[in-house]
Amino acid sequence: MIEFKNVSKTYAGSDNPVVENLSFEIADGEICVLVGPSGCGKTTSMRMVNRLIEPTEGEIIIDGQKNTDMSGTELRRKIGYAIQQTGLFPHRTIADNVGTVPKLLGWDKSRTASRADELLDLVGLPPDQYRDRYPAELSGGQQQRVGVARALAADPPIMLMDEPFGAVDPITRDRLQNEFLHIQEDIKKTIVFVTHDIDEGIKMGDKIAILKEGGVLAQYDTPENILARPASDFVQSFVGGDRVLKRLSLTLVGDIDLEPANGNSGDLPHIDEKWNLKDALSEIIGAGADRGLVVTGGDGAEGGNGGSRGTITLDSIRKISHGSEVPRG
Amino acid sequence: MDSADDPPTSTLALLFQSEFASEEQQNQGFIDWGWLADNFTEDVVPAFFQHIFLCFVSLGIALVIAVPLGILCARYRALYTPVTLITGFFYTIPSFAMFTLLIFIVGFSVGKTPAIIALVLYSLLVMVRNVVTGLDSVPPETKDAAKGMGLTDRQILFGVELPLALPVIVAGMRIAMVTVIGIAVIGAYIGAGGLGDLIFDGITRDFPTLWFTGAVLSTLLAIGADLVFVRIERMLSPWSRRARGAT
Repeated sequence: MIEFKNVSKTYAGSDNPVVENLSFEIADGEICVLVGPSGCGKTTSMRMVNRLIEPTEGEIIIDGQKNTDMSGTELRRKIGYAIQQTGLFPHRTIADNVGTVPKLLGWDKSRTASRADELLDLVGLPPDQYRDRYPAELSGGQQQRVGVARALAADPPIMLMDEPFGAVDPITRDRLQNEFLHIQEDIKKTIVFVTHDIDEGIKMGDKIAILKEGGVLAQYDTPENILARPASDFVQSFVGGDRVLKRLSLTLVGDIDLEPANGNSGDLPHIDEKWNLKDALSEIIGAGADRGLVVTGGDGAEGGNGGSRGTITLDSIRKISHGSEVPRG
Repeated sequence: MDSADDPPTSTLALLFQSEFASEEQQNQGFIDWGWLADNFTEDVVPAFFQHIFLCFVSLGIALVIAVPLGILCARYRALYTPVTLITGFFYTIPSFAMFTLLIFIVGFSVGKTPAIIALVLYSLLVMVRNVVTGLDSVPPETKDAAKGMGLTDRQILFGVELPLALPVIVAGMRIAMVTVIGIAVIGAYIGAGGLGDLIFDGITRDFPTLWFTGAVLSTLLAIGADLVFVRIERMLSPWSRRARGAT
């Protein structure tokens, strides 16, 4: 668990704090997204966890221990670190890059090498093909995969990620996000995840901390609750006018109660049960229907070959969009 | 200082006249191949190696000074301007003036020492500047990631910054080396030896074979050194070469 206790940061020569009296807790195994406009101190807050920046006031407690109890370098070797520009070492091979922290910790060569292979596999880069290449030979998305693998190398319980999927095109980003969420299901790290993109925050976060300018915490809650009950006008405008749709994007079609399909369902648009409600809504409206046929497996839009589980109606989606309790997919 | 009773000048004049085997004064065309064949290993080869020795020692000393100085300048930016001014000042002093100053003002005796000092001073500007440029060229996010993963400052300097700066540093050595090979020729004027001896002696005695050999060899040496350093530069940055090859 990571606890921020009344943490403030003011740079020398400035009157305005970049982070002001920040207090919140991040539970073990959760992704906590720090999000807000530029200048809200989200990156500063993250960098105070591993003491790349020291707070002016307050303290950060990790698993009951102050993070100042050990040296900065010792602390940083125990915390994974991945950043937007990846910061891969251009002069070292992919395997050497991934093995950076294990090497610092004095692992022997074969253990470091096999760990690097294991992690490259995990992030979808076949080790045989990639371990001996240099970063500049990889695409942006591949480099970010390596950045994540490198942060995971010594299996740290905590990871800091500063827009780790920021520098790639939207399609690649979406794929990297999905893959990382999938990996997180297994590894269950405690993650501080910084982004300026509220949609990424909603997708990635178990909890979201919305910061506003001057480093003040505007709201700290689950994505569902923030979208359902924004604490202030600032939060409401920050999450955007489409917050109802964003909430729908948090729920999968397969997780809600469906109505049985009746006879003439041939004309209905097909909805994959793995889709979220926002996509389902879009599909139904786009087809000019008032309901869609939910199918399992296969490609819903192309008249999937999987079995049908029932229908989903515009009405039921509307009801969910008004309700406060939405099951989390 | 051309007056006959000026002792250092007459020493210099003596130096040139006694250096090489005297040729039989029959002029057989521009190049006296016979003389060259007879005296090649005795006169030309030692002068060639003396020249290389002068340049390598100077460059080595310059490197030992420039790398720490460049690191300091990169760390403490306020140092960079004064260091550039001072080394830039050395660089602008004409080579004849520099050699003369070192002997008549600083008081070195004629020989290799003042020549090496001059060559080191000429190299410093380029070398320090390239060390700083090299260190500056390391992407900030690479340093940030290194620090964020728990590398110490020393590990970042030796494991990340210097290796990445190395090609630029070597590029500086290459320029310095070529410059120094040229200036070292003038060093013969103060008795440093090297290929300049052949040139000066050839001019003094109106014997083209000598000065032509000196000129050709010093040019070849400069070109050769340039090529070798280009090769070293490439060798030290396999990552960038492969990146260029990648799509």
